Amino acid sequence: MQVTLDHVTHTYQPGSPFQATAIQDVSLTIQSGEFLALIGHTGSGKSTLAQHINGLLKPTDGKVLIDGRDIHEKGFDKKEIRRRVGLVFQYPEHQLFEESVAKDIAFGPKNLGLPQAEIDERVKEALENVGLSYEEFAEKSPFELSGGQMRRVAMAGVLAMRPEILVLDEPAAGLDPQSREEMLSLIAGLHQKGTTIVMVSHAMDDVARFATRAVVMEKGTIAMDGKPEEIFRHAARLQEMGLDVPSICRLGLALREAGIDFPEDIFREADAEKALIQLWKGAEKC
Amino acid sequence: MLKNITLGQYYPVDSLVHRLDPRIKIILLIALIVAIFLAGNLLAFVPVMLFIGFASMLSSVPFKLLLKGLRPLRFILIFTFVLNLFFLQGEEILLDLGFMSIKKEALISAVRFSLRLVLLVMGSSLLTLTTPPIVLTDGLERLLSPLRVIHFPAHEMAMMMSIALRFIPTLLEEADKIMKAQTARGADFESGNLIQRARAMVPLLVPLFVSAFRRAGDLAMAMEARCYHGGEGRTRLRVLKCKAADFYSLFALAALIAAVVLCGKVY
Ligand SMILES: Nc1ncnc2c1ncn2[C@@H]1O[C@H](COP(=O)(O)OP(=O)(O)OP(=O)(O)O)[C@@H](O)[C@H]1O
Ligand SMILES: [Mg+2]
Repeated sequence: MQVTLDHVTHTYQPGSPFQATAIQDVSLTIQSGEFLALIGHTGSGKSTLAQHINGLLKPTDGKVLIDGRDIHEKGFDKKEIRRRVGLVFQYPEHQLFEESVAKDIAFGPKNLGLPQAEIDERVKEALENVGLSYEEFAEKSPFELSGGQMRRVAMAGVLAMRPEILVLDEPAAGLDPQSREEMLSLIAGLHQKGTTIVMVSHAMDDVARFATRAVVMEKGTIAMDGKPEEIFRHAARLQEMGLDVPSICRLGLALREAGIDFPEDIFREADAEKALIQLWKGAEKC
Repeated sequence: MLKNITLGQYYPVDSLVHRLDPRIKIILLIALIVAIFLAGNLLAFVPVMLFIGFASMLSSVPFKLLLKGLRPLRFILIFTFVLNLFFLQGEEILLDLGFMSIKKEALISAVRFSLRLVLLVMGSSLLTLTTPPIVLTDGLERLLSPLRVIHFPAHEMAMMMSIALRFIPTLLEEADKIMKAQTARGADFESGNLIQRARAMVPLLVPLFVSAFRRAGDLAMAMEARCYHGGEGRTRLRVLKCKAADFYSLFALAALIAAVVLCGKVY
């Protein structure tokens, strides 16, 4: 499936003194199978954009299309969008409410009107997917879990709806390094199994590692859009926007400044390792 | 989703009315209410309307916003107006509908009651639109502090009020966010019968309460960590001081009351 944002503008509280245009004239097509990273400085409109993808926010101007159909036109089934596009908010652990983990995860599938047997199966699968054992956690109260576990349960609640597109708003924010790593490999795994991923992130190293496409937002508009390797070539421009570059880019920059011929288009750890070994060998020959 | 609550929403601009001392503004409002109830006839409402009109002009708050505060009251307004109009007795018949007639006294009283309600709401909206809630509670605390001699906990009351006020926008924001998150999971807050709708609120209310308690706990801890111990001997961040404009407004107030009483007598 394909989601298109067609010249979307969104203004919060129009006509009041608190009026704020969060995104302006944004056009973007999300292709099936992509891992799209949405990056940008605080307040650049990433979350606002993310909430348009599943129709939670209605554009003040412009259209959102799923497979070519306007989702805000009359007669478009909102349930269908919810089923096909999953959205995991920033700090999703704050939205847990049921008395047991299993019931909380079942909330989404239940709203879709699925039969009980299917719901049970999906709950089980979603829990295992996020790396929590069903036997141990299903009957626990979500409020007695650790922060990281709560985040996983919240994530499972969305996964249980089996969305074709998964939109994640800073899924790794505030997690310890190990939980971070697990969360990211979970997302990468979902991508490999065919889910389209849109991930809002501040961590450029993660973008470099996983994304197939990066969209950079600045002050409510799209400043750059392309493959990560193309984006990270403009390190100076990124830093101008208050953004970071992957640590490998910084290493490369420092090496080149020191007169070492480190290639410009390397920004993943694995590639850097190879390049460095090659440089090393080249140096030995001389 | 939860964004149209005017009463109690501050309109952040700088104006003469915004700069008035909150204590003076509270006194002005109380006096205005008294004046509205003193007004014995329609003529006596004229000075009150002039006063509110003048104040709202000085305040740079768009008149539309003041009127917006009346929206939630529109049914009560229509209801009282109609009730007064049709069921009050009088002698002079203005309009005879056969089964019912409208009397002159009834029309006057209907207008008077509605006018009273409208002016009351507009006056209070003007206060809340031009005064940040925190400043308002500060003013209240100072006005109530003489009551400490009879052990009235003025400071504690004000503190509770300002904390509550401070958290209203936060909780609204939070509620909005949770509502969206649950909607994304297919929750439906807008359709169904009363029982279904009440049940639909559970996924919103539980996380909201959890977060409110968490915030309250955090805040209590933070206050304790900074040695908060109540009102005794505290100095203030905002020292309230009456300026020339405050005294002038009191003159305007005296003029208002005099005019209302006078109009009531003359008629
Ligand atoms: N509910 C709202 N009401 C009014 N303004 C809002 C609201 N939500 C966001 N904004 C404004 O819209 C702009 C974009 O906000 P958004 O949350 O989309 O940014 P973001 O890129 O996600 O930032 P962050 O990295 O901090 O999450 C900001 O200037 C913000 O102040
Ligand atoms: Mg955000």
